[in-house]
Amino acid sequence: MFDLLPHILNGLTLGLLFALIALGFMLIVGLMEQINLAHGSLFALGAYFAMQLMGPRPPFPADLAQSWLALPLGWRYAATLILAPAAVGLVGIAIEFCMRRTYGKDPLYGLLLTFGAAMVIEEMIRLTWGTRDYVLQVPQAVNGGFIFGDLIWSTYRFYAAGIAAAVIGLVWLLIEKTSFGATVKAGAHDSEIVRALGINLTRLRLLVFVFGTMLAAIAGIIVAPIWGIRPHMGVDAVIPAFLVIVLGGVGSFWGAVVAGLLVGLAVGLSGAYASEWSLLSMYVLLVAVVTFRARGLWGKKSVLEA
Amino acid sequence: MKQREISRRSVLQGSLMASALAGTASYFGPWKENRVWAQGAAKPIKLGLTCDASGQYGNSGQDDLRGIQMAIDEANAKGGVLGRKITWITADTETTPATGSRLAERFITREDCTILIGAVHSGVANAITQVAAKNGVIYLNTNSSAPSEAGENCSRIKFVWDGNGTNFSKASVANAVNSIGKNWMLLTNDYVWGHTTSAATKAQVEGAGGKIVDNLLVPQNTRDFTAYLLKIQQAKPDVVATAVGGDDIKALREQVAQLKLDGKPAWINNQQDWPDVWGSPDSLFGVFGTTWYHKLALPGVADFVKKWQATNKEGSIPVPGNVSYNGYMATRELLRAIERAGSTNNVKIIKELENLKVSATDRMQHFDAYMDPVTHQMQQTIYLARRNPKPADKTDLYEIISWTEPKAVADTDAQAKCKLVPYEQVPTVDS
Repeated sequence: MFDLLPHILNGLTLGLLFALIALGFMLIVGLMEQINLAHGSLFALGAYFAMQLMGPRPPFPADLAQSWLALPLGWRYAATLILAPAAVGLVGIAIEFCMRRTYGKDPLYGLLLTFGAAMVIEEMIRLTWGTRDYVLQVPQAVNGGFIFGDLIWSTYRFYAAGIAAAVIGLVWLLIEKTSFGATVKAGAHDSEIVRALGINLTRLRLLVFVFGTMLAAIAGIIVAPIWGIRPHMGVDAVIPAFLVIVLGGVGSFWGAVVAGLLVGLAVGLSGAYASEWSLLSMYVLLVAVVTFRARGLWGKKSVLEA
Repeated sequence: MKQREISRRSVLQGSLMASALAGTASYFGPWKENRVWAQGAAKPIKLGLTCDASGQYGNSGQDDLRGIQMAIDEANAKGGVLGRKITWITADTETTPATGSRLAERFITREDCTILIGAVHSGVANAITQVAAKNGVIYLNTNSSAPSEAGENCSRIKFVWDGNGTNFSKASVANAVNSIGKNWMLLTNDYVWGHTTSAATKAQVEGAGGKIVDNLLVPQNTRDFTAYLLKIQQAKPDVVATAVGGDDIKALREQVAQLKLDGKPAWINNQQDWPDVWGSPDSLFGVFGTTWYHKLALPGVADFVKKWQATNKEGSIPVPGNVSYNGYMATRELLRAIERAGSTNNVKIIKELENLKVSATDRMQHFDAYMDPVTHQMQQTIYLARRNPKPADKTDLYEIISWTEPKAVADTDAQAKCKLVPYEQVPTVDS
């Protein structure tokens, strides 16, 4: 049993990261009913922007760059956590502008558009930064390892899990406890009534989409020191994100969080005891759940179901 | 006349249908058993370069391509081969066997390529081999180092240019069992190269009196190794031997270095490819194998590095490594073999390559190299290296600690497993 505990703990921290990766994806699917296949590429873009900001050649004029580089690493990292997602948010604005003509039509259009956007972003990343991989510098305080229970643990992993839990909590507060969240949910439920009430639905959708893309970027920055930064890292993110959403139930906030934790536990435990199954385990979990509950763990009941 | 409206949906559906049909068509044919082109002095010899540009070995695949292109450029600068220019085509094999197979088929049947070059992933290499063998097209496996490539998956049309897992294990394991400890743990990438390399390591460990306490399989594209590192700490082995490659080994190395687990247990990484090392030197640890290094104190090395840099100014890697070197050497020797054969007939070229002997000076290695006619694998110097504690410059990452002559590390198991078909069963191909 004591041998198992470290792997359960590892699975839970990993699960929080999966939930964080899925969060922006879930928000856009749940509140806009759009499948954003560019989520993974925006996740990657967040990591690349952060790497550029944290690296020796920040994208600023010479004087500003010098002042920026003179800042302690911790301050630069904290600022990067805001600046990089904001920059990705601008990309999100561009994508949302393109998506407007697809609203209210067959979801296939939005899906194809975001798929195209994902391809464009990934190729732009290759052209700009090349195919090599990069490492994201993090402050010394969250780097290295610590000893717990006779084992060396990664400090960064617990920091990342903590950030993931905090972001999940903040997003929940925003959606459930603010008038903005209520308006957004109402817009998703009945856009005509919301429009009739004088709320600018176009702006609302833009805000939700940009918020979702910024969450993708934050996830990219947080996960980058663990996965490394490379052009196709977005693909590594979008598949688990999609899986977590389906497993948790499309549109369910807590469904996505619990599904993320379950996926993390499945990957963590199988990694230790049946390592060849570690990547496959999440798909086995999905098949097992969907076989008995087609709408996922907390998905809304379909009108087609008896 | 009634004009038919074309909706956007119908265009999209049509495009998707067309794409699906195009894919299906390229999969099913047209097949050609024998290909003979009319000889013409001006007709170029066309090579199909099957190099990964994405996936686990995307970085290495592009470095392989740089070496191959350099050898082609050199030959063309001298007037080509047999007075004919060398042309080439390449596409991303995506580190995926199915893509490799499909591209090989396309290069042979639609692009008229008569020779294929390039591989890093053994699954992709094996898939390309099947297509090339069916068509009699010579295939150079430049960088896939699974022992099976020169063993059970060998082929009359295929030549393997990298050292394999058995060569590297033979160079490193016995000494480590005696000097470090007998309890070994294996970390194995869950595909052909990982399995066959770890099997070779296991045989060497047990042969030297050691014991394998566990073998953890690592699925391809694993990015988070925490579960493995916890398991290793719980098992407390003396040595961890990895057969993990590409982006996976980069992620593993970074995570091991972050936890400072790079000292104890001892690590032996079967082979480290230069593109997997460049960019994260701080995470370089343990002892590892290679076939070449850009700072070997041997004649010709410095000139080769300069020429490579002159043709690859824009690349993300500043100096050639073992992958680019293998791509270059394989292509150069192929083009020389065509010249010696005085013909582009595939069987004549195969016979030339089977008898290939290259001096140490010409190879820029410590010992003479030769092609094993039984397995079609290049027998060459195997180097062991570790992180350089006193680098001369930022590219000087390795300290070469030993070099072993080819005969001492020969893969004798491969010789027993490899069964080449007779020449007469190889479909005739002439460029």
